[in-house]
Order: sequence, then C-alpha cells, then structure tokens
Amino acid sequence: MKRILLIIMAGILAWSPAAAEEKKEIKVGFIYVSPVGDAGWSYAHNEARKAIDGMEGVETAFVESVPEGPDSERVILNMARKDFDLIFATSFGYMDPMLKVAKRFPDIAFMHCSGFKTAPNMGTYFGRMYQARYLSGIVAGAMTKTDTLGYVAAFPIPEVIRGINAFALGAQAVNPEAKVRVVWTKTWYDPATEKEAAKSLLDVGADVIAQHQDSPGPQEAAQQREVYSIGYNTDMSPFAPEAHLVAPVWNWTPFYKEMVHQVRTGNWESKSYWWGLEKGIVDISPISDRVPVDIREKVLDKKAEIIADTFSVFTGPIKDQQGKVRIPEGNSAADAELLGMDWFVEGVIGTTK
Amino acid sequence: MGRIRVIKRQEPLGWPSCLVVLGAAGVSLVLSGILLGLQDRPPLTATAILFQGAFGSAWAIEDCLIKAVPIYLCSLGVAVAFRLQIWNIGAEGQFALGAIGATAAALYFPELSWLLLLPAMALAAFLAGGFWGLIPALLKIHMRANEIIVTLMMNYIAILFLDYLVYGVWKDPASFGFPMTPTFSESAIVGRIGDTNINWGLALCGICGLLVWIFFRFTLLGYELKASGENVRAARYARLPYERLVILVMVLSGALAGWAGFIEASATLNRLQPSIMVGYGYTAIVVAWLARLNPLYIGLASFLLAGLRVGVENLQLELQVPAAFGQIMEGLILLTVLAGGFFTEYRLRLRPRP
Amino acid sequence: MTWEILISLLAATVQSGTPILYATLGEIFTERSGILNLGVEGIMLVGALAGFLGAKFTGSPILGFVLGGVFGLGLAGLHGLICIGFHGNQVVSGLALTILGTGLANYLGTPFIGQSAPGFSPMPVPILSRIPILGEIFFHHDFLIYFSYLIPPMMWLFFRYTRWGLGLRAAGEHPEAAAAAGLNIYRFRWAGVLTGGFLAGLGGAYLSLAYTHLWTSGLTAGRGWIAVALVIFAFWNPLRAVLGAYLFGGVMAFQFRLQALGTDLPSSLLLMLPYGLTIIVLVLSSWRGRGDQAPAFLGMNVEPSE
Repeated sequence: MKRILLIIMAGILAWSPAAAEEKKEIKVGFIYVSPVGDAGWSYAHNEARKAIDGMEGVETAFVESVPEGPDSERVILNMARKDFDLIFATSFGYMDPMLKVAKRFPDIAFMHCSGFKTAPNMGTYFGRMYQARYLSGIVAGAMTKTDTLGYVAAFPIPEVIRGINAFALGAQAVNPEAKVRVVWTKTWYDPATEKEAAKSLLDVGADVIAQHQDSPGPQEAAQQREVYSIGYNTDMSPFAPEAHLVAPVWNWTPFYKEMVHQVRTGNWESKSYWWGLEKGIVDISPISDRVPVDIREKVLDKKAEIIADTFSVFTGPIKDQQGKVRIPEGNSAADAELLGMDWFVEGVIGTTK
Repeated sequence: MGRIRVIKRQEPLGWPSCLVVLGAAGVSLVLSGILLGLQDRPPLTATAILFQGAFGSAWAIEDCLIKAVPIYLCSLGVAVAFRLQIWNIGAEGQFALGAIGATAAALYFPELSWLLLLPAMALAAFLAGGFWGLIPALLKIHMRANEIIVTLMMNYIAILFLDYLVYGVWKDPASFGFPMTPTFSESAIVGRIGDTNINWGLALCGICGLLVWIFFRFTLLGYELKASGENVRAARYARLPYERLVILVMVLSGALAGWAGFIEASATLNRLQPSIMVGYGYTAIVVAWLARLNPLYIGLASFLLAGLRVGVENLQLELQVPAAFGQIMEGLILLTVLAGGFFTEYRLRLRPRP
Repeated sequence: MTWEILISLLAATVQSGTPILYATLGEIFTERSGILNLGVEGIMLVGALAGFLGAKFTGSPILGFVLGGVFGLGLAGLHGLICIGFHGNQVVSGLALTILGTGLANYLGTPFIGQSAPGFSPMPVPILSRIPILGEIFFHHDFLIYFSYLIPPMMWLFFRYTRWGLGLRAAGEHPEAAAAAGLNIYRFRWAGVLTGGFLAGLGGAYLSLAYTHLWTSGLTAGRGWIAVALVIFAFWNPLRAVLGAYLFGGVMAFQFRLQALGTDLPSSLLLMLPYGLTIIVLVLSSWRGRGDQAPAFLGMNVEPSE
C-alpha cells in the first residue's frame, strides 16, 4: 500500500511543475473599433485572430464596432468576468477603459494597441507602420510624373501624421521635388467621402494617391482617372488593378502568437512592444510589375537595411513645414518623439488640424 | 378600406396602451428573431443571451442603470418639446453642447472644490444645451424654419464643434496628440453611489423626472403646453403667447439633454472626447414616444432600451451578431407601437351590407 | 483656383449632388401628396445595400439599380402602412423608419463591407460631351446621372399637366374637398409615398453602384436628411430641386478641394459647411413666406369619414 502511495506521489511531483507551466486552454478576447469586414485595420487584426484561433488549446472571441468610451469598458469587463485569460483592445480610445478593468482583474493579461498607459498586468503594442510607409513613399516618388503625391488622411493623430511624414521622406529620397498634399476626411471607413477626397487631390494635380483609411474608395478614384495608387492595410489591387502599385500592410499573427505563447507558459509580463519590419508585423504587399525593376530593388534593399537596423527612417537632418530643423543631422528620432508627432516634414502641404 | 369602417374614438383608450406596448415589443422580438434565424443564429438562444446580458446579473442591471441615466435625461427633454408638438430631433447635439459646457467649467476651474465646481458645471451645461435648443426655437418663431431640419443639422454641427475643440485648444498635451481633453480633476467628477458603479446622475434623473411630472400634471402652464400642442387655436387662449411657449420648451429640452452630456462627461468618461457621442439623443426620441411622454414611463423605457444596448453587446460577444441589431429592434419597436396605437385611437366596425 | 480645377469641381458637384437629387425628388413627390416621410435616410441606405447586393449577385448593375429602388419602395411601404393604414404620427413613423432602415442595412450588410460590386462607370455622351466647358461638366458621367437629368422635367410636367398629378396635389392640398369630389385620397397618398421611396432607394443605390462601387455601413452619411431640407428649399418644385441638390453636392466637393489646395482652416470647420448651409438655406426659404408653398395638409393624416 505504502509503495503504491509513494509511486503516486512521485508521479504527481514529477507532473505538477509541467502543469504549472502550461495552461491547457486559454481564452483570448479581441475588441475592435470597426467592423471586421472593413478590409482594413480591424480586418488585419481579425485575420491574425483567426490564425491563433487555429492553435491548439486556444479559444478566441471578438466584439466589433465597439465605440470608445464607457461601452468599451463594459465589453472588456464582460470578457474579464467570463474568465478570458488574454484580452487585446485594438484602438487608442480603449486605453483608459482597459486600464480601469485591468486594475480590478490582476490575473488577466491585458494588451492595448497604439496607446501608452500601462499597468503591472497591462502592456501596450503597436507596429512601426511608418517603416512600410517610407518604402511605399519610394515607389510613389519614383513613379510620379507631376511630382505631386496626394494623401487621403483620416484623423490628425500622431500615427497618421507619422505615416504621412515617412511617406514624404521616402518619396523625397528618390525624388527631391516630390510634394505631398494632404486632405483630412475625419473618417476611418467611408468610401464615398474618401473617394471624393481622392478626386479633389487628383484635381489639383496629384498622380499617385495614398491613403490612411481602410476603404478602397481612393483606390477607385485613382483607377478611374488612370493614375497610380498606394493601398493600405491589405493589398488593394483587386479594387484598382491598373492603379495599385504597393500597399503597406499589417500582419499581427507573429505578435499574437508570441503573446499567446507567453501567457500559456506563464512568462507574460507587461511590456511595451513596438515591432516593425524586422518581426514581420508590418510589411509591404508585392510591388506591381508596373514599377521598374530598379525601383523595386531599391525598395527591397532599403527594407533589408531597415531590418538590419543600418537605416532608420527618421534620421536627421529633418525640417518641418516652416523650415525649422526638428531632427538634427546625425540624430535619429527617439520613440517618444515619434509617438507624439504633431508636425509635418518639409514638402508636405496641409495642416495637422 | 373595404367593408371595415374606421371610427375615431372620443377618448383614446387608457389602460390597453400598456398592452399595446407589450404586444408591440413582443412582435418586434419575434421579427428580430426571424432576422437572426435568417443569418443562421438560433433565435431562441439569442433572445436568452440578450436578456441574460441585459438583466441577468447584478452588474448587468447596474450597467443598464448607468446607461439609462443619459437616455432618461435626453428623453425627458424630448418629451417636454414633443408635448407642445415641437419636434426636437436635436437631443444629440444638445447633449454634445452640454458636455462641452461642463467640460469648459471643469477645465478652467479645476481647483475649485466640488461644492462649487459641480454646480458650475451643471449650470454651464444647462446654459450651453439650452442655447443650442434656443436657436432652433428662434428660427422657428421668427423665420418659420422647420425645427426638424434645423435641430438635425445642428446635431452634425455640434459634433463637429466638439471635434474641433478636442483636436485643438482643449487637447491634452499628455495625450500624444490624440483627441481628448485632460482628465477632469477629482472635484469635477460626479461620484458613485456607495459601493456601486452607479453615479449620482441617477438622483438627478429622479429629481428632474419628478419636477417635470409635477409640471405636466399640476401646473396650468403644463396643461397649456399640451393643449397648445394639440390645437394651435387653443394656444391663443393660453396665458403665454405661443412663441414664448416654444422658447420655453426648447430651452428646457436642450438644457435637460445638456445635463445628460454633463453627467456622461463627468461621471462616465471623466473627460471629453469624440466617442462620448453614441446616439443617446436618437434613442431618447424612441423612448419618449414609447412612454407617451410620461416621465414615469420614460424611466421604465429608458431602462429597457439601455438594457437592449447592453444585451446586444452580449449578443455580439457570444454569437457575433453585428452591432446594428440593436438599432433594428429599436426601429421595429417604435413602428409596432405606432401601429398598435391605432387600436387605442380608433374603433373598427363592419360596414352594414348594402 | 485655375480654370481646370473649377471645371473639375463643377463636374464633381454633379456627381456629388446626384444621390441627393434622386432623394429630394422622391420626397417632393411624397410630400406633395400630403405625406411627410422622414425616413429618407434609412430608405437610401437600404436602397444602397439592395442595389449593391443586386448587382453583385446578378452581375448586372442596372438590375441592381432597379432593385435598390424596389427595396426603397418596400421600406416606404411600411411608412405608408403606419401612416395611411394605421393613422400613425407621420413624424415619429418617419424617424422610426430611419432607425429601422439604417439598422437593417448595417446589419444585413456587415458581411459585405470591404467587397466591391460591378457598377457604373463614366461614359461620355457622344457629341454633347465635346461642348466646351458644359460638356465636361454635364456629359462625362455615368448612366445613372444622365437618367437623373430626365426626372425633374418629367415630374414637373406630371404635376402641372396630368390629371393624376392634379389628383396627387389635391390629396396634399385639399384632401377633404378632393374626397368629396370622389377622388381616392388614400390611393394617391400611397402612390406618393411608394414612388418617393423608390426614388430615394435609387439615390442610395447610386452611392454604392456609381459614386463608388463599394458598400459600408453609414454610406449615406446624412444625405437623406439634407434631401428632406432641400424639399423646402426647392419650394416643392422638382426643377428647383436640381439647383438645391447641386448646390449641396458642390459644397461637399468644395471643402475637399480647398484642403487639397492647402488651407490652414481646420477641417472640422470646413466639414460643417454643408450642414450650416442647409440651415441658412432653409431659413431663407421659409422666411420669405414661401414656406407656405408647402402642401396645406402635409404631415396630417386624413381622419376617416363616417
């Protein structure tokens, strides 16, 4: 009898540390600010969610179109109460609500996208989309014949401004005469409005249209006028087969997989992640054949340089619209500067309001 | 209309209107269930999830009460205007202006003690919301401009104005460029009742509701509003000229919605940001109509429609039902109640055979 | 602004104003018969979705366009049922319809966001499009815009010179007298509300089949409400509605071009222009007393006679 007990106890002792390391099943929740079908921001997050949903022992759920503010707090709270282990909130405005909930549920891992507030159990994450935008800028700058690039912009927040600046810098690197004109639509997904904005840019002479919104409206405008376009979030060439040159895209799968892994093995801790091209979080879609080979190679070379960290997009000297030097020669902008960017570089025409 | 005669009743039926509302709600549920079924979602389970999400737990009920507060105040305002048959569709914009007013007070006087600051914010919200209601009233009286269109357009303008402020002069320097005001100081935040999540805005609802009820039921002016609304000629016999009545109701209406904005900015969000706008002003219209403009029923209807919003979120989480489902139910309920109202206003008789 | 930019702006004005034009014309037709339909926004959105899905699944944009109208008509039928059949309050019923229509369209359309459908593309009219300036502004558009040129004069002729037009107007101006004269007021009102819904649905379908080839929730973005206001601006006259619709299309197009040219004005303020202009236009139209051009019994249900 005693021997059997000893064997059993030995077995349990041998087994338990492993059990403490691996949570067998985890529930991961996602909150999106727009519908997942928007072929854009939320769509990209959702594709990654589907990827991890396929993993063994991982159960996911999501709520879409959640307005920022108290509604989001309730949704996050709901998920927390239903014993989700890991919750991702994919919009800046979810920051405070998530923080409030995180304080009440110290055992759950909370990850907030595009924000800056953290807690012992709440981290932040984002992607260096500006790197991909820089690359797309090279393509645009090389392909424009009028030296005017049009940018249909969403809301005057730092990530959009940063993207525009990186785009402009990329264009100017191959075409110092290139100018970027900016129109704000104050929408994330309104094809009619965004197409109209693109048309207005085309009317003032732009022959490459880039965008920050999620709808293919601007792409359609470019296609109809037989000029070029740069997509966003996903490869938008189905909407503009002759116009679409390239698109900066998101790929959250590597990040989400990493987070899931950390939570399952008990290694998760609150950190601020800002991954870029090197981890594959951001990328560019395949470049269209319409772009000459040498430009394509230039882009890919630059991409390799960024990945190898031998080139940084926001390296001085960089001046703002008024000509003032914002990033001195030889300096590279610090992350904090980038996160709060509220000025345009030289060569961008438009306001940041 | 065939062989059926339709005769207007002398007095609309009273008690069966409850049945009508219940019946209408039931029909809407069934129709919504069919819609869900069309998209391969089990209707009965979905209904259960809807109810469970809205009322199935203590915290769910708390959430409903919290959400009901702004809906209630907006709806009270809408009811005041509708009583005079002034179709104020502008609760949404008046809500925004109230939030803006309260925020202004909070941002410019953060060091004041709450005893002074909260009333100051309430006053600012009252004035701002009231002002936003006054403009359509004046345009209606002096220029005969249709208040439906004016108030509606002013909703859009109000929201854009809010955007302008939070992207510009009121933007929090610490917010990394994101559009939001700095967080309000402690003394600018309407506190919670005891241990719950519910804020003292609920008390404000109670007080306003009581006052409006007394106003409607027991004051001469309140009676005159109703009479003038139904019959413009009767309005000539009221003590106040019609024009003054219009101004009165629109200012009150705007002010009440403004208070809803104040509570939402202060207690729920603790700051001002664009996402404060979630359509309470429009839901308020549905609520006011369902409740037949009665402050007590408005309370019930606000609670139920808040519950609808909360329950729909649960539906999203569990069954991936698109967010617009709640709107469908709101629209259906209102339409079915309107249709049902027919039976309390009219009688049906068979026409005698020729 | 150079000449070319001005001409592009005017051409964009026509494109931008067309959905509003369809909806305004529809609402004029409805209101002339005495029914106030505030559900235009919801009807347009439903029409947009129906048109989009119709074109997507049948492969034919024209069929999609017609379907947009049909579904708009269907939704307007609900309004007719509530107001004409059940004597419901027209203001509230219209609002409920907006909520329902918007909710239905957004709900059913959610799976289709991010997809495109076959649509209409610009086809310059032979000969006419060669006319300097005017040709560029009016004849370089798609079929749906050309179709919209036909409706205002047809509607004007209908109201002015046909017996049915007269009957419809009577239903809105003197329903009791007309009923006494033997006209079936209800039938005219039904015709009014259904036709109005059909046209509003067409306006919505234009957005998802020609203006863009895409669908999204909230595609109409308040155009339905602007249409309701424009009816007053147009003094219920279909020809004047054209002026109003293009004016609004113009303002919407203009504020983007202003930004594109590079202005320091904050975009929030620029975006307010269409709505502010609507109010100004409404006030001026109503103030000059011509608000009395409204059909006398607009918005009032006809009490059933004994």
